[in-house]
Amino acid sequence: MVARSAIDQQRAGIAVVDSDGTVTWTDEAWAADDGEASLPRVPIGANLLEAYREYSDPRAQAIANAIAAVLEGKVTYFEIEHRSDPDSPSFLTSVAALRGSGAGAVVIDKVVGGREPSERHRPTVVRASGGAPFGHEGERLTPREREVLDLMAMGLDNRAIAAKLRIEYTTVRGHVRAVIEKLGARSRLEAVARAYRNGWVPKG
Amino acid sequence: MRPAVLEFMREAVDRPNEALLCFGEPGVGERLLRDLEAHMGHEFTADRRAGRIMVGEAHSDVDQQLENFIAPLEELRARGFALVRFVGVVAWDVRHFPPPEDFLWFESKMNEVIAELPVVGLCPYDLARIPARGIAYGALETHPFVLCDGVLRENPQFIPPDRYVRERLLRLPWLQGEGLS
Repeated sequence: MVARSAIDQQRAGIAVVDSDGTVTWTDEAWAADDGEASLPRVPIGANLLEAYREYSDPRAQAIANAIAAVLEGKVTYFEIEHRSDPDSPSFLTSVAALRGSGAGAVVIDKVVGGREPSERHRPTVVRASGGAPFGHEGERLTPREREVLDLMAMGLDNRAIAAKLRIEYTTVRGHVRAVIEKLGARSRLEAVARAYRNGWVPKG
Repeated sequence: MRPAVLEFMREAVDRPNEALLCFGEPGVGERLLRDLEAHMGHEFTADRRAGRIMVGEAHSDVDQQLENFIAPLEELRARGFALVRFVGVVAWDVRHFPPPEDFLWFESKMNEVIAELPVVGLCPYDLARIPARGIAYGALETHPFVLCDGVLRENPQFIPPDRYVRERLLRLPWLQGEGLS
Protein backbone atom coordinates (compact mmCIF):
# COMPACT_ATOMS: atom_id res chain seq x y z
CA MET A 1 0.00 0.00 0.00
CA VAL A 2 2.12 2.83 -1.30
CA ALA A 3 -0.53 5.37 -0.48
CA ARG A 4 -0.87 4.12 3.07
CA SER A 5 2.87 4.21 3.47
CA ALA A 6 2.98 7.76 2.13
CA ILE A 7 0.33 8.78 4.59
CA ASP A 8 2.23 7.26 7.47
CA GLN A 9 5.52 8.79 6.44
CA GLN A 10 4.20 12.23 5.63
CA ARG A 11 1.64 12.31 8.43
CA ALA A 12 -0.75 13.35 5.71
CA GLY A 13 -4.48 13.06 5.55
CA ILE A 14 -4.60 12.47 1.82
CA ALA A 15 -1.97 11.27 -0.59
CA VAL A 16 -2.11 11.16 -4.36
CA VAL A 17 -0.25 8.28 -5.91
CA ASP A 18 0.57 7.73 -9.55
CA SER A 19 -0.09 4.45 -11.27
CA ASP A 20 3.58 3.50 -10.89
CA GLY A 21 3.39 4.06 -7.14
CA THR A 22 5.08 7.45 -7.10
CA VAL A 23 3.65 9.77 -4.50
CA THR A 24 2.80 12.96 -6.34
CA TRP A 25 1.02 14.83 -3.65
CA THR A 26 0.13 14.85 0.00
CA ASP A 27 -1.68 17.49 1.96
CA GLU A 28 1.27 17.99 4.27
CA ALA A 29 4.75 19.42 3.93
CA TRP A 30 6.11 16.91 1.45
CA ALA A 31 4.58 18.36 -1.65
CA ALA A 32 5.49 21.92 -0.78
CA ASP A 33 9.17 21.12 -0.72
CA ASP A 34 11.24 23.18 -3.13
CA GLY A 35 12.74 20.05 -4.61
CA GLU A 36 9.34 18.96 -5.75
CA ALA A 37 8.44 22.16 -7.54
CA SER A 38 7.67 20.26 -10.71
CA LEU A 39 4.89 18.32 -9.08
CA PRO A 40 1.42 19.13 -10.24
CA ARG A 41 -0.22 21.53 -7.87
CA VAL A 42 -3.26 19.40 -7.35
CA PRO A 43 -5.50 20.95 -4.77
CA ILE A 44 -6.20 18.65 -1.89
CA GLY A 45 -8.73 18.40 0.86
CA ALA A 46 -11.21 21.21 0.95
CA ASN A 47 -9.50 22.80 -2.06
CA LEU A 48 -9.77 19.61 -4.04
CA LEU A 49 -13.37 19.36 -3.07
CA GLU A 50 -14.04 22.88 -4.29
CA ALA A 51 -12.30 22.11 -7.55
CA TYR A 52 -14.42 19.04 -8.21
CA ARG A 53 -17.55 20.94 -7.29
CA GLU A 54 -16.81 23.26 -10.20
CA TYR A 55 -17.51 20.45 -12.65
CA SER A 56 -21.05 19.59 -13.67
CA ASP A 57 -19.91 16.11 -14.73
CA PRO A 58 -21.78 13.60 -12.51
CA ARG A 59 -18.59 11.58 -12.08
CA ALA A 60 -16.74 14.59 -10.70
CA GLN A 61 -19.65 15.30 -8.42
CA ALA A 62 -19.53 11.70 -7.20
CA ILE A 63 -15.87 12.12 -6.40
CA ALA A 64 -16.55 15.40 -4.65
CA ASN A 65 -19.20 13.73 -2.54
CA ALA A 66 -16.82 10.93 -1.68
CA ILE A 67 -14.07 13.36 -0.67
CA ALA A 68 -16.55 15.36 1.39
CA ALA A 69 -17.61 12.20 3.18
CA VAL A 70 -14.00 11.49 4.10
CA LEU A 71 -13.35 15.04 5.24
CA GLU A 72 -16.48 14.93 7.38
CA GLY A 73 -15.45 11.64 8.89
CA LYS A 74 -18.57 9.89 7.63
CA VAL A 75 -16.62 7.19 5.86
CA THR A 76 -13.12 5.91 6.18
CA TYR A 77 -13.04 3.84 3.06
CA PHE A 78 -14.58 3.93 -0.39
CA GLU A 79 -13.76 3.16 -3.97
CA ILE A 80 -14.95 4.63 -7.20
CA GLU A 81 -14.53 2.59 -10.32
CA HIS A 82 -14.88 3.89 -13.83
CA ARG A 83 -13.07 3.80 -17.09
CA SER A 84 -10.75 6.64 -17.93
CA ASP A 85 -10.51 8.04 -21.40
CA PRO A 86 -7.39 6.38 -22.79
CA ASP A 87 -6.72 9.29 -25.14
CA SER A 88 -6.50 11.88 -22.43
CA PRO A 89 -3.93 12.30 -19.73
CA SER A 90 -4.91 11.57 -16.21
CA PHE A 91 -3.61 13.75 -13.41
CA LEU A 92 -4.91 11.56 -10.65
CA THR A 93 -4.66 7.86 -10.73
CA SER A 94 -5.35 7.14 -7.14
CA VAL A 95 -6.08 8.98 -4.01
CA ALA A 96 -5.80 7.57 -0.56
CA ALA A 97 -6.91 9.15 2.62
CA LEU A 98 -6.72 8.28 6.23
CA ARG A 99 -8.91 9.74 8.87
CA GLY A 100 -8.48 8.82 12.49
CA SER A 101 -6.43 6.10 14.07
CA GLY A 102 -6.86 2.74 12.44
CA ALA A 103 -9.00 4.07 9.64
CA GLY A 104 -8.81 2.40 6.29
CA ALA A 105 -7.38 3.91 3.17
CA VAL A 106 -9.50 5.60 0.58
CA VAL A 107 -8.75 4.56 -2.94
CA ILE A 108 -10.20 6.23 -5.95
CA ASP A 109 -8.85 4.43 -8.94
CA LYS A 110 -8.55 6.33 -12.21
CA VAL A 111 -11.02 8.87 -11.16
CA VAL A 112 -10.31 11.70 -13.51
CA GLY A 113 -10.69 10.18 -16.90
CA GLY A 114 -8.12 12.44 -18.47
CA ARG A 115 -9.66 15.70 -17.51
CA GLU A 116 -7.18 17.94 -15.82
CA PRO A 117 -8.45 20.98 -13.98
CA SER A 118 -7.65 24.26 -15.60
CA GLU A 119 -5.44 26.77 -13.82
CA ARG A 120 -8.44 28.55 -12.49
CA HIS A 121 -9.49 25.35 -10.77
CA ARG A 122 -6.23 25.04 -8.91
CA PRO A 123 -6.24 27.06 -5.73
CA THR A 124 -2.75 28.14 -4.78
CA VAL A 125 -1.17 26.13 -2.03
CA VAL A 126 0.49 28.60 0.29
CA ARG A 127 3.45 27.59 2.33
CA ALA A 128 3.11 28.50 5.98
CA SER A 129 6.04 29.64 8.08
CA GLY A 130 6.51 26.13 9.37
CA GLY A 131 6.82 24.77 5.86
CA ALA A 132 3.48 22.99 5.60
CA PRO A 133 1.06 23.94 2.87
CA PHE A 134 -1.54 25.93 4.69
CA GLY A 135 -4.35 27.57 2.82
CA HIS A 136 -6.86 30.21 3.75
CA GLU A 137 -7.21 30.86 7.49
CA GLY A 138 -4.54 28.39 8.54
CA GLU A 139 -1.71 30.27 6.92
CA ARG A 140 -2.27 33.27 9.14
CA LEU A 141 -1.23 31.41 12.26
CA THR A 142 2.18 32.14 13.71
CA PRO A 143 4.50 29.19 14.46
CA ARG A 144 3.66 29.50 18.16
CA GLU A 145 -0.06 29.57 17.45
CA ARG A 146 0.32 26.43 15.36
CA GLU A 147 2.07 24.75 18.28
CA VAL A 148 -0.79 25.78 20.53
CA LEU A 149 -3.31 24.55 17.97
CA ASP A 150 -1.60 21.14 17.87
CA LEU A 151 -1.90 20.88 21.64
CA MET A 152 -5.52 22.08 21.60
CA ALA A 153 -6.22 19.30 19.12
CA MET A 154 -4.73 16.82 21.59
CA GLY A 155 -7.39 17.97 24.06
CA LEU A 156 -5.04 19.85 26.37
CA ASP A 157 -6.44 22.74 28.40
CA ASN A 158 -4.64 26.05 28.75
CA ARG A 159 -2.86 25.11 31.96
CA ALA A 160 -1.51 21.95 30.39
CA ILE A 161 -0.45 23.83 27.25
CA ALA A 162 1.34 26.43 29.37
CA ALA A 163 3.20 23.68 31.23
CA LYS A 164 4.08 21.87 28.03
CA LEU A 165 5.41 24.97 26.26
CA ARG A 166 6.81 26.49 29.46
CA ILE A 167 5.02 29.76 28.96
CA GLU A 168 2.57 31.76 31.05
CA TYR A 169 -1.06 30.74 31.27
CA THR A 170 -2.17 34.21 30.19
CA THR A 171 0.09 33.97 27.15
CA VAL A 172 -1.53 30.67 26.19
CA ARG A 173 -4.94 32.21 26.60
CA GLY A 174 -3.95 34.95 24.17
CA HIS A 175 -2.69 32.39 21.65
CA VAL A 176 -5.86 30.32 21.93
CA ARG A 177 -8.04 33.35 21.35
CA ALA A 178 -5.91 34.33 18.36
CA VAL A 179 -6.20 30.82 16.89
CA ILE A 180 -9.97 30.81 17.29
CA GLU A 181 -10.27 34.24 15.73
CA LYS A 182 -7.90 33.57 12.83
CA LEU A 183 -9.62 30.31 11.96
CA GLY A 184 -12.94 32.10 11.94
CA ALA A 185 -14.37 29.76 14.57
CA ARG A 186 -16.88 30.58 17.26
CA SER A 187 -15.35 28.24 19.80
CA ARG A 188 -12.25 26.35 20.85
CA LEU A 189 -13.55 23.03 19.57
CA GLU A 190 -14.82 24.44 16.30
CA ALA A 191 -11.29 25.73 15.66
CA VAL A 192 -9.88 22.28 16.38
CA ALA A 193 -12.47 20.58 14.16
CA ARG A 194 -11.69 22.99 11.34
CA ALA A 195 -7.98 22.36 11.72
CA TYR A 196 -8.52 18.60 11.53
CA ARG A 197 -10.78 18.87 8.54
CA ASN A 198 -8.20 20.89 6.66
CA GLY A 199 -5.23 18.81 7.72
CA TRP A 200 -3.60 21.63 9.69
CA VAL A 201 -2.85 19.45 12.68
CA PRO A 202 -1.22 16.02 12.83
CA LYS A 203 -3.63 13.12 12.63
CA GLY A 204 -1.71 10.89 15.02
CA MET B 1 -34.26 20.82 42.22
CA ARG B 2 -34.66 17.06 42.47
CA PRO B 3 -34.57 15.60 46.01
CA ALA B 4 -31.69 13.29 45.08
CA VAL B 5 -29.53 16.30 44.21
CA LEU B 6 -30.52 18.16 47.37
CA GLU B 7 -29.74 15.09 49.48
CA PHE B 8 -26.34 14.84 47.82
CA MET B 9 -25.66 18.46 48.79
CA ARG B 10 -27.13 18.11 52.24
CA GLU B 11 -24.54 15.51 53.23
CA ALA B 12 -21.78 18.04 52.62
CA VAL B 13 -23.55 20.62 54.79
CA ASP B 14 -24.09 18.07 57.56
CA ARG B 15 -20.45 16.95 57.67
CA PRO B 16 -18.03 19.62 58.93
CA ASN B 17 -15.06 18.03 57.18
CA GLU B 18 -16.74 18.37 53.78
CA ALA B 19 -17.25 21.40 51.56
CA LEU B 20 -19.73 22.22 48.81
CA LEU B 21 -19.45 24.03 45.48
CA CYS B 22 -22.54 24.99 43.49
CA PHE B 23 -21.71 25.72 39.87
CA GLY B 24 -23.84 26.94 36.98
CA GLU B 25 -25.03 29.93 34.99
CA PRO B 26 -24.89 33.24 36.89
CA GLY B 27 -27.55 33.10 39.60
CA VAL B 28 -28.09 29.35 39.38
CA GLY B 29 -25.74 28.51 42.25
CA GLU B 30 -27.51 30.96 44.56
CA ARG B 31 -30.88 29.50 43.60
CA LEU B 32 -29.58 26.03 44.27
CA LEU B 33 -28.49 27.07 47.76
CA ARG B 34 -31.86 28.65 48.48
CA ASP B 35 -33.52 25.38 47.42
CA LEU B 36 -31.20 23.52 49.74
CA GLU B 37 -31.94 25.88 52.64
CA ALA B 38 -35.65 25.34 52.09
CA HIS B 39 -35.08 21.60 51.86
CA MET B 40 -33.09 21.51 55.10
CA GLY B 41 -35.27 24.01 56.90
CA HIS B 42 -32.51 26.38 57.97
CA GLU B 43 -30.04 28.88 56.54
CA PHE B 44 -26.31 28.30 56.48
CA THR B 45 -25.05 31.84 56.29
CA ALA B 46 -22.13 31.10 58.63
CA ASP B 47 -20.87 28.26 56.45
CA ARG B 48 -21.07 30.48 53.42
CA ARG B 49 -19.22 33.27 55.18
CA ALA B 50 -16.57 30.81 56.27
CA GLY B 51 -16.20 29.67 52.69
CA ARG B 52 -17.17 26.05 53.31
CA ILE B 53 -20.04 26.49 50.88
CA MET B 54 -19.10 28.25 47.66
CA VAL B 55 -20.74 29.34 44.44
CA GLY B 56 -19.01 29.21 41.04
CA GLU B 57 -20.22 30.84 37.86
CA ALA B 58 -20.17 29.51 34.33
CA HIS B 59 -18.69 31.70 31.59
CA SER B 60 -19.20 31.96 27.86
CA ASP B 61 -15.42 31.47 27.40
CA VAL B 62 -14.79 27.82 28.20
CA ASP B 63 -11.23 28.48 29.36
CA GLN B 64 -12.49 31.02 31.85
CA GLN B 65 -15.21 28.61 32.90
CA LEU B 66 -12.61 25.93 33.55
CA GLU B 67 -10.68 28.39 35.72
CA ASN B 68 -13.87 29.38 37.56
CA PHE B 69 -14.40 25.72 38.32
CA ILE B 70 -10.87 24.70 39.25
CA ALA B 71 -9.97 27.68 41.44
CA PRO B 72 -12.55 27.08 44.23
CA LEU B 73 -11.85 23.34 44.21
CA GLU B 74 -8.15 23.98 44.69
CA GLU B 75 -8.85 26.52 47.41
CA LEU B 76 -11.09 24.10 49.31
CA ARG B 77 -8.56 21.35 48.92
CA ALA B 78 -5.79 23.61 50.24
CA ARG B 79 -7.90 24.30 53.28
CA GLY B 80 -7.88 20.61 54.08
CA PHE B 81 -11.43 19.43 53.56
CA ALA B 82 -11.64 15.66 53.41
CA LEU B 83 -14.12 15.80 50.53
CA VAL B 84 -15.51 18.50 48.29
CA ARG B 85 -18.88 17.91 46.68
CA PHE B 86 -19.94 19.93 43.71
CA VAL B 87 -23.14 20.24 41.78
CA GLY B 88 -22.79 21.54 38.23
CA VAL B 89 -26.12 22.59 36.77
CA VAL B 90 -26.05 22.06 33.03
CA ALA B 91 -27.27 24.51 30.39
CA TRP B 92 -27.18 24.25 26.62
CA ASP B 93 -26.63 26.89 23.98
CA VAL B 94 -27.56 29.80 26.23
CA ARG B 95 -26.02 33.15 27.02
CA HIS B 96 -23.28 33.16 29.70
CA PHE B 97 -22.49 29.55 28.90
CA PRO B 98 -19.90 28.11 26.50
CA PRO B 99 -21.06 27.00 23.04
CA PRO B 100 -22.27 23.37 23.17
CA GLU B 101 -19.11 21.80 21.73
CA ASP B 102 -16.92 23.69 24.21
CA PHE B 103 -19.25 22.83 27.05
CA LEU B 104 -18.96 19.13 26.15
CA TRP B 105 -15.18 19.46 26.20
CA PHE B 106 -15.48 21.07 29.64
CA GLU B 107 -17.68 18.22 30.88
CA SER B 108 -15.18 15.66 29.72
CA LYS B 109 -12.23 17.68 31.01
CA MET B 110 -13.73 17.82 34.50
CA ASN B 111 -12.99 14.12 34.89
CA GLU B 112 -9.28 14.85 34.56
CA VAL B 113 -9.47 17.88 36.83
CA ILE B 114 -11.10 16.05 39.72
CA ALA B 115 -9.20 12.79 39.28
CA GLU B 116 -6.40 14.01 41.54
CA LEU B 117 -8.64 15.75 44.05
CA PRO B 118 -10.88 14.51 46.88
CA VAL B 119 -13.87 15.64 44.87
CA VAL B 120 -17.15 14.06 43.92
CA GLY B 121 -19.71 15.80 41.74
CA LEU B 122 -23.18 15.61 40.31
CA CYS B 123 -24.28 17.26 37.07
CA PRO B 124 -28.07 17.52 36.81
CA TYR B 125 -29.29 17.43 33.21
CA ASP B 126 -32.80 18.83 33.00
CA LEU B 127 -34.56 16.82 30.32
CA ALA B 128 -36.95 19.70 29.75
CA ARG B 129 -34.12 22.15 29.01
CA ILE B 130 -31.40 20.08 27.41
CA PRO B 131 -31.94 18.72 23.87
CA ALA B 132 -31.44 15.06 23.08
CA ARG B 133 -28.00 15.72 21.64
CA GLY B 134 -26.92 17.33 24.89
CA ILE B 135 -28.09 14.30 26.83
CA ALA B 136 -26.49 11.82 24.44
CA TYR B 137 -23.13 13.53 24.04
CA GLY B 138 -22.90 15.20 27.44
CA ALA B 139 -24.74 13.28 30.11
CA LEU B 140 -24.13 9.83 28.69
CA GLU B 141 -20.63 10.12 27.27
CA THR B 142 -18.77 12.36 29.71
CA HIS B 143 -19.82 10.86 33.04
CA PRO B 144 -18.45 7.57 34.35
CA PHE B 145 -21.56 7.06 36.47
CA VAL B 146 -25.17 8.06 35.97
CA LEU B 147 -27.87 8.56 38.56
CA CYS B 148 -31.10 7.44 36.97
CA ASP B 149 -34.37 7.06 38.88
CA GLY B 150 -32.41 7.37 42.10
CA VAL B 151 -30.03 4.51 41.25
CA LEU B 152 -26.32 5.14 40.66
CA ARG B 153 -25.07 3.01 37.79
CA GLU B 154 -21.77 2.60 36.02
CA ASN B 155 -22.16 4.23 32.62
CA PRO B 156 -21.32 1.96 29.67
CA GLN B 157 -21.49 4.93 27.26
CA PHE B 158 -18.71 6.81 29.03
CA ILE B 159 -15.80 7.88 26.82
CA PRO B 160 -12.61 8.67 28.78
CA PRO B 161 -11.41 12.26 28.36
CA ASP B 162 -8.23 11.27 26.54
CA ARG B 163 -10.38 9.77 23.75
CA TYR B 164 -13.33 12.13 23.87
CA VAL B 165 -11.99 14.86 21.57
CA ARG B 166 -11.24 12.50 18.69
CA GLU B 167 -14.02 10.01 19.18
CA ARG B 168 -16.84 12.43 19.85
CA LEU B 169 -16.11 16.13 19.66
CA LEU B 170 -14.56 16.09 16.20
CA ARG B 171 -17.57 14.12 14.96
CA LEU B 172 -20.26 16.35 16.36
CA PRO B 173 -22.84 16.78 13.61
CA TRP B 174 -23.02 20.55 13.87
CA LEU B 175 -19.25 20.78 13.43
CA GLN B 176 -19.66 18.74 10.26
CA GLY B 177 -22.02 21.27 8.74
CA GLU B 178 -25.32 20.06 10.17
CA GLY B 179 -27.45 22.30 12.33
CA LEU B 180 -27.41 22.38 16.10
CA SER B 181 -31.08 21.65 16.67
